[in-house]
Amino acid sequence: MPQVTIDNKKVEVPNGTLIVEAAKKVGVEIPVFCYHPKLQPVGMCRMCLVEVGTPKRGKDGQIELDANGAPAIAWMPKLQTACTTVVSDGMTVRTDTAQVADARRAIVEFLLTSHPLDCPICDKGGECPLQNLTMAYGPGQSRFPVESKFHNAKRVPLGDLIMLDRERCIQCSRCVRFQDEIADDHVLGFAARGRGLEIVTLSDPPFDSKFSGNTIDICPVGALTSRDFRLSARVWEVRDYPSVCAHCSVGCNILIGERDHAIKRIVPRENASVNEIWTCDKGRFVHHFTVAPDRLTTPLVRKNGNLEPATWNEALDLVASRFKEIKWHDPNAIGGLAGDRASNEDLYLFQKLFRQVIGSNNLDHRVGWSVTNTGADSVRVYGAGVGTNLGALDQNVTALVFGADPEEEQPVIRLRLKRSARTFGANLIVANGRVTKLAKYAKQSLVYQYGAEAYFLLGLIRAILDERLENRDFIATRVQNFDAFATSLEPYTVERCAEICHVKPEKIRDAARQIAQSPNFLILYGREAMFAQQNDVAVARALAALLLITGHLGRANNGLVALYPHNNSTGAIDFGVLPDGGVGRTRVERRGLSAREMLGRSNERPSMRALYVMACDPAADGNFVKPEFLVVQDLFLTETARLADVVLPAQSFAERDGTFTNTERRAQLFRAALKPIGEAKPDWWIIAEIAKRLVSGLQFQVSGSQVSGNLKPETWNYATASAVMDEIAATVSLYKGMTYAALAENVKLPRPRSGQGNPSEQPTEIAMGELENISSGKVWASVAESDARAKFELVWSEPSRPLTADSRPLTLAVARSLYDGGTLVSKTQIVQARVPAPFVEINSQDAEQLGIADGARVRVSFDMRVIELDARVDGHVPPDAVLIPNNLDGTAALPMGARVKIEKV
Amino acid sequence: MEHLILRDLDISDIDRIEVYEKHGGYSAFRKAVKEMAPDQVTDAVKVSGLRGRGGAGFPAGVKWSFLPKGVFPRYLVANADESEPGTFKDRQIMERNPHQFIEGMAIASYAIQCHHAFIYIRGEFPHAAQCLERAIAQAEARGYLGEKILGTDYALRITVHRGAGAYICGEETALLESMEGKLGQPRVKPPFPAVVGLYNKPTVINNVETLANVPLIIERGADWYAKIGTAKSTGPKIFCLSGHVNRPGNYEAPFGSISLRDLIFDLGGGIRGGKKLKAILPAGASSFVINPAANEAVLDAKLDFESLTPFGSALGSASVIVMDDATCMVWMAKKTSHFFEHESCGKCTPCREGTYWMARLLDRIDSGAGTLADIDLLANVANQILGKTLCPLGDFSTAPVTSSVKAFREEYERHVKERGCWARK
Ligand SMILES: Cc1cc2nc3c(=O)[nH]c(=O)nc-3n(C[C@H](O)[C@H](O)[C@H](O)COP(=O)(O)O)c2cc1C
Ligand code: SF4
Ligand code: SF4
Ligand code: SF4
Ligand code: FES
Repeated sequence: MPQVTIDNKKVEVPNGTLIVEAAKKVGVEIPVFCYHPKLQPVGMCRMCLVEVGTPKRGKDGQIELDANGAPAIAWMPKLQTACTTVVSDGMTVRTDTAQVADARRAIVEFLLTSHPLDCPICDKGGECPLQNLTMAYGPGQSRFPVESKFHNAKRVPLGDLIMLDRERCIQCSRCVRFQDEIADDHVLGFAARGRGLEIVTLSDPPFDSKFSGNTIDICPVGALTSRDFRLSARVWEVRDYPSVCAHCSVGCNILIGERDHAIKRIVPRENASVNEIWTCDKGRFVHHFTVAPDRLTTPLVRKNGNLEPATWNEALDLVASRFKEIKWHDPNAIGGLAGDRASNEDLYLFQKLFRQVIGSNNLDHRVGWSVTNTGADSVRVYGAGVGTNLGALDQNVTALVFGADPEEEQPVIRLRLKRSARTFGANLIVANGRVTKLAKYAKQSLVYQYGAEAYFLLGLIRAILDERLENRDFIATRVQNFDAFATSLEPYTVERCAEICHVKPEKIRDAARQIAQSPNFLILYGREAMFAQQNDVAVARALAALLLITGHLGRANNGLVALYPHNNSTGAIDFGVLPDGGVGRTRVERRGLSAREMLGRSNERPSMRALYVMACDPAADGNFVKPEFLVVQDLFLTETARLADVVLPAQSFAERDGTFTNTERRAQLFRAALKPIGEAKPDWWIIAEIAKRLVSGLQFQVSGSQVSGNLKPETWNYATASAVMDEIAATVSLYKGMTYAALAENVKLPRPRSGQGNPSEQPTEIAMGELENISSGKVWASVAESDARAKFELVWSEPSRPLTADSRPLTLAVARSLYDGGTLVSKTQIVQARVPAPFVEINSQDAEQLGIADGARVRVSFDMRVIELDARVDGHVPPDAVLIPNNLDGTAALPMGARVKIEKV
Repeated sequence: MEHLILRDLDISDIDRIEVYEKHGGYSAFRKAVKEMAPDQVTDAVKVSGLRGRGGAGFPAGVKWSFLPKGVFPRYLVANADESEPGTFKDRQIMERNPHQFIEGMAIASYAIQCHHAFIYIRGEFPHAAQCLERAIAQAEARGYLGEKILGTDYALRITVHRGAGAYICGEETALLESMEGKLGQPRVKPPFPAVVGLYNKPTVINNVETLANVPLIIERGADWYAKIGTAKSTGPKIFCLSGHVNRPGNYEAPFGSISLRDLIFDLGGGIRGGKKLKAILPAGASSFVINPAANEAVLDAKLDFESLTPFGSALGSASVIVMDDATCMVWMAKKTSHFFEHESCGKCTPCREGTYWMARLLDRIDSGAGTLADIDLLANVANQILGKTLCPLGDFSTAPVTSSVKAFREEYERHVKERGCWARK
C-alpha cells in the first residue's frame, strides 16, 4: 500500500486512492465542488488544487536524499487536482501553503463572479457548499463589477419535479454524472460552451428519471431545487426526523424535514446496506397524503344510516361490544384484514387480538393478491444470508432476478443491482416474461412465456443434474427426499421445459452452469413470478430446489430474496397476519380463512359476520359485500370505509414511531415527525384499546386453541410503540433483541441545526456519502443460517401447463407503475404528470394479427370485465401475452395470468 | 530550394496520385510495410528527432512508443482542426499535397499497428475535406489502403470526420470526445490518449504537418532527416505568416534557418503600406506578444521550438501574426480575449469565468471607461487563471494579455488617461 505524506501527516492507503480521500484519513479537508465520492472524478471545478511532489530519483532510479537525509522531493511545477490525482508511494502533498490558499481564493472568486448571490431567497442557503467554502476559503470582497454579471434563465422547469436556476449553476456536472453513472438514465447534459455552458434535459418528457430528486441533494449550489419544497422554508427552520420510506419494500432510510407540523421535504438518510444516499422520487415527493385535507380526524359511527363523528370511547365501546357479541356465538365469524403497509407493532397486535382474544385465525394481509404462496416459508428457511448487500455483489456472485421489475416496484434496488453489475461485476441473470429495464445489466437476459415460470426453473434444475453440477456433499448430508425429487423430475427434460417456457435449451443450460458453478448464488424473485397463477406453489418449490441442490444457502450472498410489493409485506408475514402462519413465521394448527375466502364472491352471502379492516381497502377491488358489522381503520374514508359501521382514524407513519421490515428482512425504525392530525391514533393503540375492552370484566371461556393467559387487560397496556416492540423482541425469536435502542444504532441526524443537536457543530451537507458506510437496522437470520445442522426437504410440486391453445385469448401480465392511481400518490399534485395514462402493451406480431396499430383504442375483456385502453405495440412483451399496469385510471385489481381477449374499438 | 512538405509549390498537380507516385510517392509506405517491422518504423521516427507540429513539439516517435503493449484495437487520429488564429499550413497540405499526409498517416498507422485511422478536420474546411476524401479514394483504388495492402496482411481504413466549429476540439482529448459524439470538452489527463484514447482504446494523435514529415524520414532515412534543422528541432517547418505584411502566406524553411526578420522582411516582403513593425504574435492568439522595440535581438533569433524562450515568447505552431504601428495593443488583447471567451469550453472554472472576466475588463479599458487599477486587475485575473486550468486553453488566453500589459503598459495607461483608444480616434 502506498504511503503518502499530507501536510506532514503520514498515511498508508490502498492502491488507487485519490489524494482527496487520503487526506480525509488524516483529517485534512480539501475543499471540493465537482468531486463527489459516489461519482467518477472530473477535475472540473479546480477547487481542490494542492501541491504535489514525488520522491526525486537520480539517473540510476534511486531516490535522492536531501541535506537532512530525508528523501528529496520533486515538486510538480503546477498545482494538481486532489480529486483526480491518485496517490503513489512516497508522494508528498501540501494543502496548507500560500500558493494553495491563493488558488482556492481564486477559484471561489471566479465562481462568484457570475453567481447571482441570491442566498437570501435560495433553498440551498444554510446547507450550501458554495456558501460554506466561500466563508472558509473565499475572498472577503468582490472585485467584479455587478453590472458585468452574466445573466441566464432563473426558473427553468427541468421536468415536473425539479427547477433549474441557470445563474446559480456552477457547471460541476454532478447532476449529469449522477444521471449517467448512478441512475443510468441519460437525461441531463450540458449545452453550449464557455460562460454560456448550461444544463439541459435531453429527454422527452423532460428529466425522465425516477431518481431526479437526488440531483437536488448533490448539487453543490441551489441550481437544482425541488419544485415541491422550493421557497417554502429555510433549511434551518426545518427539523429533521429519521424515518423510513413507507412506499415500497426497499425501505429507504429518509429524513423527514418538518416545519409547522407538516412535511416540508424528505431527503435520504445514509444506509449503506439499503439505499446508500439515494431515494427514488416517489419516496421523496409522495408525502402530501400525510396532511391531506381529507384525512380522517375523528372516529365515525354509523347512526341512522350515516357515518357521524363520535368520541373514541363511543366508537371503541361499540366495536368491542359488537365483537364480543358475535364472538359469543362464533369467534370464527370475525375476520381481520390488515394491509401490509402497517407497521410491525400494528400487525403484531392485530394478530394477537385475533388469535389470543377473539380466537379466530381468519386473518390475512393479502388483500387483492391473487395467490396463496408468497414464498414466505422459503424465505424463512433459505432467506438470503445476513450481510448480503444488493448494491455490492461482486464477480463471485450470480444473482437470478426472476419475475421482477425493480425499476417500477423497488426502484432503489434497480439502482443497487445496476451498481453490483456495473461497478463490482456481479453476474446478473434476469428472467421474466418480458424485457424489463434491469435486463440491460444482465449477462444473460431470458424471456420465458408467462405461465411457464415453473418449467423454466425445472429446466434449470434438470440441466444442473444432467451435467452433474449439483452439490453432492450438501445433498448427501443436508437434503432429504432427493431421489424421489429426481424421479419426479424424470419427464422434465431440458428440451421439454425449453419448449414449454420458450427459452432455448442452450440458454437454460448456460444459465444453469453459471448458477451451479458460481461461488455464490442469490435469487431475487418478484411479484410476477410469485403471482404466477396456478403455479405459485410449483415456482416457490422449484426456487427452493434450485438453492438446495446447489447448496447455495445459509451464507451472505446466497439464498432467496422475495421482492414484495409493499413496504411491510415481510412484517405482515413475520407477524402472522395470515390464516395459516403464526407470529414469527410459525404454523398455526387450525388454518383460518384467507382474504379471498373471507371476502367471498359478489353473489355470495359474506362468510364473515364481522370484519376488522386495517390499512387496506378491499372494496376498491370491486365485488365487496358488506358483512353485518364492518370496522375500518385508515387514514382516509376509503371505499370500504364508506360502507363501514365504525371508522377509526389512524395516524400516518409520519405521526408516530414504528418499525417496518423491508424486503431483505431488515427491521428498521421510523420516528414520529408530525403532530397527530385531529384525533387520529396509532394503529397499535387502537388495537390495544379494542382488546382491553374485549377482555375487561368478563373472563369468559373462549373456544379455540390459541387462547393463553392474555385475557388480562394488563397484558394490553402499551405506553408506546417501543413497548410493543419490547414485547416482540422478548418473545418472537426472529426479532430477538430488536428493541428500538438496538434498531436506532447508527441512525444519525447528519445535519444538526439551530434548535436541534449541538448548534456549534457545522451543518454538514446532504448526501455527501462520506463513505462511512453507515448501516442501520437489523436482519433476522434464516433457518439455514441459524441452524448449521438443519435438514432440508426437497418437495416436488407438479407444475400445470400454461394455456397455449392458440394465441388468443392472450395471457394478462400485470405490471405495476411506480406512480399509480393509488390514494397516496393521488394526494401529491406534483407527481400527477408522472402517472402514466393507462395502456395495454401488445407484441407486434399479435398486434399485426389483430389489426391493432400503435396508439389504437382497444377493448380488453377478461374475467367478466371489459376495459378500454390505448394500445402500445412494442418489443417489451413476448407473443401471446399482453401487459397492463395495475392501478392506473380504470385498471385496478387486475388478475395476473387471466385470459384476455383484445379487439379494436 | 526544394520544398519537402509544400511540394505543391514545386509540382503544382501533386494532389493527383499518379503525379505523387511519379515523384516517389508511396514508396516510403511500400518500404515500411514490406521491409520494416512496425517497431523499426517507430525507431526511425525517434532517431529522426521529428517533433509534433501541433504546438507542443513533443517527439512523435516517443509518443508512438507509449502505447501499451498488446492492447488492440489502436487508433491513429490526425488532428486537422487547425483553428489557431493565423494558422493555415495544414489546410494547404490537405488541399494541395494530400497524399504526402495520407502516406504519413499510413506509415504511422502501420508503425502502431492501427487498422482504422481518422482525420478530425475542422468543419470550416469543406474543400480540404473533399480533397482528402478524393485522395483516400485514389489511395484505396491503388491498393495503398484497404485490405491486404500491397500484398501484405496489413489492412487500413482512413475516415474523415468533420468537426462542428470549435477551437477547443483541436485539443486532443476534446477532439476525442467530439469524435465520440460528445460535447467537445477536454478530458482530465492522465490517463493520456496513448493509454485511454478514442473509444477508450490506445490512440496516437498527431498534427497534419507532423504526419506529412513521416514519408521523408522513411524514404530518405532518419539520419538524413535529422541533419535538417537544428539538433533539437529537426526537419523542415512551415511558417504561417499573416497580418500587416506585403506577402502573407505559408513559408517552408528548415528549423533554425530563418529569423523573424528573414520571415517578415525578406520572405514576407516587409510591412504593408510602408508602416513600421510594432508587434508580433508568433504563435497565433495563444502567443506572448513580442515587442521588437524592446529588444531588437528577438528579430534575429533563428526560429526553432526553443529560440524565442529567452525573449519571453514561444513559437507554438508558428503562426506568425505581424502588426504595424497603427495597431492598438489593447485592441489586440481585447480581440484575443474575446476569442478565448468565445472558445472556452466552459468545463473548468478559471477559464470559463476568467476569460469572461478578462473580456469584460478589456472592453472597459478599450472603451475608455477603465481605471489604472483595472490594468493591474486585468493582469492579476490573468495570473489567477494561469496554471489552474484543466487544459492549456486557459493558459493560452492569458499569454497575450499578460505579455501586452507588460510590454505595452503605457498603451493601456493611455486608454485610461485619454478615455479611449488612440488608434480609433
Ligand atoms: C486549445 C488547444 C487547441 C489546439 N488546437 C490544435 C489544432 O488545431 N491542431 C493541432 O494539430 N493541435 C492542436 N492542439 C494540440 C493538440 O492538443 C495535440 O497536442 C497535437 O495535436 C498533437 O500533435 P503533434 O504532437 O503532432 O503536434 C491544440 C491544443 C490546445 C490546448
Ligand atoms: S445544476 Fe448543480 S449539480 Fe448540475 S452542474 Fe449545475 S451546479 Fe452542478
Ligand atoms: S425505492 Fe421504495 S423505499 Fe426507496 S424511496 Fe422509493 S419508494 Fe421509498
Ligand atoms: S481551460 Fe478552458 S477550454 Fe480548457 S477545459 Fe478549462 S474551460 Fe475548457
Ligand atoms: S473537486 Fe477537484 S476539480 Fe473539482
